[in-house]
Amino acid sequence: MIKKIVFALIAILSLSSCAVVKEYEKIYLNDPDMLLAARKIKKFDTSFHVYREAASGANGGKSGGGCGCN
Amino acid sequence: MEENRVVVVDVINKISMKKTILLIFLLNSFLGLSQEEKSDYKKRVLENTELDIISSYYAQKGENAAVTGGIGKEKLSDIATNIVLSIPLNEDNVFTIDATISAYTSASSSNLNPFDASGASSGEEENDDDDDEFDDKPNKSALSNVIGSPWIESSGASKGDVWANVNFNYSHSSKDRNSIVTANASVSSEYDYFSIGFGGGYTKLLNEKNTEIDIKGSIYLDTWHPAYPTEIHSYLEVEGDLNDGFFENVDILNENGNIINKNRSNAWNPFQNKLIDDKGRNTYSLSLSLSQILSKKAQISIFFDVVQQNGWLANPMQRVYFSDRANYYIGNASSIPNYTSKNNKDVFQLADDIERLPDTRLKIPIGTRLNYYLNEVVALRTYYRYYYDDWGITSHTANIELPIKISDTFTLYPSYRYYTQTAADYFAPFEQLVSSSDFYTSDYDLSEFNSNQFGFGISYTDIFTKRRIWKFGLKSININYSSYKRNTGLKAGIINAGLKFVMD
Repeated sequence: MIKKIVFALIAILSLSSCAVVKEYEKIYLNDPDMLLAARKIKKFDTSFHVYREAASGANGGKSGGGCGCN
Repeated sequence: MEENRVVVVDVINKISMKKTILLIFLLNSFLGLSQEEKSDYKKRVLENTELDIISSYYAQKGENAAVTGGIGKEKLSDIATNIVLSIPLNEDNVFTIDATISAYTSASSSNLNPFDASGASSGEEENDDDDDEFDDKPNKSALSNVIGSPWIESSGASKGDVWANVNFNYSHSSKDRNSIVTANASVSSEYDYFSIGFGGGYTKLLNEKNTEIDIKGSIYLDTWHPAYPTEIHSYLEVEGDLNDGFFENVDILNENGNIINKNRSNAWNPFQNKLIDDKGRNTYSLSLSLSQILSKKAQISIFFDVVQQNGWLANPMQRVYFSDRANYYIGNASSIPNYTSKNNKDVFQLADDIERLPDTRLKIPIGTRLNYYLNEVVALRTYYRYYYDDWGITSHTANIELPIKISDTFTLYPSYRYYTQTAADYFAPFEQLVSSSDFYTSDYDLSEFNSNQFGFGISYTDIFTKRRIWKFGLKSININYSSYKRNTGLKAGIINAGLKFVMD
C-alpha cells in the first residue's frame, strides 16, 4: 500500500519535468471546465454519497466528520 | 572682449548641461516612479463579491432500512439549500461564509418508534431521560391496537429533521500569488448530533504555476445526542420490568405468535444493558494534494487523505437482530410468518441490540483527477478514487464527465459514475448476525454493493452579467440531475439548481 503511494507520488513529481506551460499559453487550461475539482453544482451529490456509501474523501473536499454519516 | 565672450558661452553651456541633466534626472525619476507604480499593481485574488446559491431535492427508496435492522422501508426525501458568499477583504484576502440548511423526511428514521404507526403514541410526558425528543409511551387507551411494521412509515417526531451548517473560511494569498494560507471554522447541528470543526491549509505554487502542492488539516469535534429504538430505551428505563412503562399492558409475542409470560426470566430483553457511554465522535484528517500541468491542454491532480475517527462511530438509532437469540414481537400474531414481506403491516420484531462498531476507524482514500481539453467544443473530465479503511472496506470510484459547449453561453454536462465497495467486517443482513461478535451492524451502507449513476446537466453563463438583481449581476445558471441505482435495490434521484451572482 505504502509502496503504491510512494510510487504514485514519484510518478506525479516526475511530471514536473514536462515543458513548462507559460501563463499566456494557459488559455485552454483556464477554461472553467478544466478546473481540477468537482463542479460546485455537484455539492449535494457528494453529500449523499457520503451518507449512502462507506468511502469518502480524496476529492479536494471534506473527508469525514460534521454529520452522523459514514 | 573675445575672452569675455568665451567665458559667457561656457557659462551658458554649463547652465544648459545642468538643465539637461536635471531634466533627464526628473524624467528618469518620473519614469522610474511610473514603473514602480506599475510593478506595484496586482490583480486582486477576487475582483468582486460573489454569491453562489444551490438548491437540491433528493429522493430515495429501498428495502433495507438500517433503523429496522436491514429490512424495511427506506424511503427518504431531502430538500437542501447552500449559500456561499465570498467577499474580497482587500487585494490579497478573501473571507467566505458557506451556509447550508437541509430538511429531510425518512420512513426509516420514523421507525425509531414504529408503534406510532398505530397511533399508539400518547404524547404524555414520562420520565424520559434520554436525549431524544420522542415519546416512548404507548397510549393506554389504544393498547389492543399497538402495532408497528418495518414496512410502514411511522408518524413519530423522528420521521424528519433539519441539518444546519455554517462554515467560515479566510484565505490569504502572498504578493507573488505563489502561496495561499487558509483557515476555517464550522458549526453543524441536527437533533441527535452537534459538531464543531476547524482547520487550516497551505498551498504552494511552483514551476511558473505549473505545479501546485496543497496540505490541509481538519478537526471535527462531534457529539451525539443519542436517540434509541423505543423498546430498548424503554426496557432500560424501567430496569427490565416488562409490566411497567412502555410495556405495561402490551402483549409480547414469541415466534409462534403466543403471548409470553413477561415475568419469566427468559422473556424478551436487549442483549446489552449498556447504551452509549462515550457520546463524542472526533475526526482528524490530513489531506495532501499535488496538481500538475501536463501540457497546454491537460492537467492532473492527486489527492491523498489520512482520516482518523475516534468515539461512538455507530449510529444508536440502528437496530440489529441476532440469529442465535429467540425472536419476540408486538402486534398481530398472524403476520409473524410474513415479517420480512412488504405485506406485513402490523407486527414489529423487538430489537436484540443497537449496532455496535469499533471506537476507532482509519480511512485512507487516494484519488486522482485528469482533465483534457479535447477541442473548443468538448473537454474530458475524469476522476478515480481508491479507498481503504481498517473496518475491512475497500472501494473504487470512477467518474467521467464530458462538458459540451453548444454555444457561447450554454454547455451540456453528461456524466457517469461507477462505485463499488466490499462489506465491513461487522456487516451481516437481517437475522444473520451472531451475538458472540464484538461488533455488528445491518446497515446496508456498510454492505458489499456497487452502484451506477447517470447524470445530465446544463449551464448558462453570461460573462457580462447583463441580468441584474439589486447590486448583483447574474453570472451563471446551472441545473443538474442524477439517477443513482445500487445492485442491492436502493434507487435515488437528485436534482440541483444553482445561481451565481457577482456584485458590482
